[in-house]
Amino acid sequence: MMSYFFQLLISGIVVGSIYALSALGFVLIYKSSRVLNIAHGQIIAGGAFITYALTVWADIPIYISFFLSMIITFFLAMSVERIFLRRLIGEPVISVIMVTIGLMSILDGIIYLTPFGSENFSFPVFFPKTPISFGGVSVSWTQLVGVIITFLLIAAFSWFFKKSTIGISMRAVSDDQLAAMSVGISVPKVFGLAWAAAGLSAAAAGGIIGNITGLNFDTLHAFGITVFPVVILGGLDSIIGAVAAGIIMGLIQQFASGYLDGHFGLSGTAEVLPYIILLVILLFKPHGLFGIHEIERV
Amino acid sequence: MKQNKIKFISIMVSAAVIISFSCSVHAGQTYKLALSLAITGPTSDAGNPYAKGVEDYFKYVNDNKLLGDDIIECTIRDDQYKTDVTKRNFEEFLDNGIVFYLNYSTGSTLALKQDFEEEKIPVIPASFHAGNLVDSNYIFLPIASYSAQCIGLAEYVAAHHKGGGIPKAAMFIHPSAFGRGPVEDVEKAVKAGLNMEIVEVTEHGKDLDNTAMLQRFISKGVQYVITQTIQSPVATLLKDANRLGLAAKSFGEEGKLTFLGAHYTGGNDLIALAGPAAENFFWTTSYTLTSEPGPGTDMQLALAKKYGRDDKAANSHNYTNGIMAAQVAAECIIRAKAKGSKITRETLYNELLAMNGDNAFKLDTTVGPVTYSKTDHEGVDNLQLYSVQNGVFKSVGKPFSPEYSKKIK
Repeated sequence: MMSYFFQLLISGIVVGSIYALSALGFVLIYKSSRVLNIAHGQIIAGGAFITYALTVWADIPIYISFFLSMIITFFLAMSVERIFLRRLIGEPVISVIMVTIGLMSILDGIIYLTPFGSENFSFPVFFPKTPISFGGVSVSWTQLVGVIITFLLIAAFSWFFKKSTIGISMRAVSDDQLAAMSVGISVPKVFGLAWAAAGLSAAAAGGIIGNITGLNFDTLHAFGITVFPVVILGGLDSIIGAVAAGIIMGLIQQFASGYLDGHFGLSGTAEVLPYIILLVILLFKPHGLFGIHEIERV
Repeated sequence: MKQNKIKFISIMVSAAVIISFSCSVHAGQTYKLALSLAITGPTSDAGNPYAKGVEDYFKYVNDNKLLGDDIIECTIRDDQYKTDVTKRNFEEFLDNGIVFYLNYSTGSTLALKQDFEEEKIPVIPASFHAGNLVDSNYIFLPIASYSAQCIGLAEYVAAHHKGGGIPKAAMFIHPSAFGRGPVEDVEKAVKAGLNMEIVEVTEHGKDLDNTAMLQRFISKGVQYVITQTIQSPVATLLKDANRLGLAAKSFGEEGKLTFLGAHYTGGNDLIALAGPAAENFFWTTSYTLTSEPGPGTDMQLALAKKYGRDDKAANSHNYTNGIMAAQVAAECIIRAKAKGSKITRETLYNELLAMNGDNAFKLDTTVGPVTYSKTDHEGVDNLQLYSVQNGVFKSVGKPFSPEYSKKIK
């Protein structure tokens, strides 16, 4: 019984970490530009497919492909910001969100033109097949490496925002674009960097999810929506919030599935609970667990 | 005078050329058919090769003059799995004067059922949902329904279960009419005497980890998991079962889980997604597979080569699925023509209804003949069980027809 509990605990942390990594892209963009990028799922899928293409079609070792894909997506996301969003600086947020919805359709269309739009693939097996088992609890190598990469990236981004000059500039832009510009910070540059960093994290998430589920466009891009409750729960502008909320959601889903489904006539609770929590949080704590609650004097 | 003569001869020659060309154009009839399906969007991994199968077979019919001078013109449109787009496409097809329609998804087939009745147009969807046939005269499933497939799998479990007691099974289904449809019918079969217990029915979501569910199944004594969904969630399920050491190495291995699935859960796409974890997955469909060579698959591969399809499409069971739907539609036209009938919706409908007994349509792309009648709108009643062995689907036993699907009707 205890090993069952611990297995659910570990699985919840694994799933939650991947949620956190997927949610990170939303947070990075929102934190610096107050924009919610609806096309984030498409970027996650794009990153996964680039890794696959480099590994299988270009015959590059998968570890190198993974990092190359992160670099490529970094520049691709930066270009997306440059082409589609830069002109909208200063425009109402709703206009920018509508542009990201349009962007989602454009990216869908582009991916559908490639074999990745309608075919299924899987990465070659590159981790040991035997999972790591301890006391009746097992974790696959893919999951373990996924969790490590997630925490490394999250630590790097947290440090970047707190300590680096550019990170501090990004936070300044997020607080007040006009004030940031008045002290010489380049707002367009900050926006470009935010998108690029989100692209980088999306590629990492795509690679990990693709390894777990296989490469199917619908499954991959759906993660953009799947992690939405995580983003809201954590607070749209908090990296630590994304991590905490991701893990909370992962644990809730696993424990709900493990202890509620199949009992009391319940089924599918893991699917429903995140949205119930989302509603409750929005009612009582609209800025999420760690989101900044802005106080305005009137 | 001489100039007038030359002018007259030129005009006459030109007229003769125009008449001769127009004669050859009008020598044959053009029969308009149409297909609306997901070439892009959700489930396009199945829709894309399906569309290629339909397109290639009709091209083959025209190129090889299987209808003499007559030709089939089949318009194929992408609907991205959106029912409203399918409906719009269908309405445009009607305006173009189609005589036969090929549809795709369960959702749109159910939504357009009434339109098919009003238009009195024969329809073959790519959805094998038994509910398509309820209150419908014009929808014809190409092969056995998902319900019949799941019952067939359950019968196989009941017949081959090792060890004592009643075999315990769980159902892992798609959260839609497509997935839910068969559950009630399998439950009916169990009530009617099928020796199996359904311990749990689970609808899946976008799961990254199925540990909790798999452990729960084991704790409840489940030994068999019957899946009725698409490949992607099944692939994740199989990977998790392998990671946890819960996947049976052979059918019915005690204390482990044996996974089985209906048509859209399997095929090469499952192997592409699950990799080695797909080993020993049991799958049923009525189609022949290129991993088991035979006349049908030879024809399929030749067709794919002729029309420049890549290996992936050529070996897809959904390409076979499309070819077969087109074969049935073309056969109706051939039979109606042979009788001297005018090709209309009504004559093609009557040809479908007459496709039984000695008139059953025997084709090599399926493991049994296509039989339809006024009371039977499921095409191929036979199913073949396959299992993944060394990375390819291999047949297990001979084609069979699920007994309980008839008993519960």
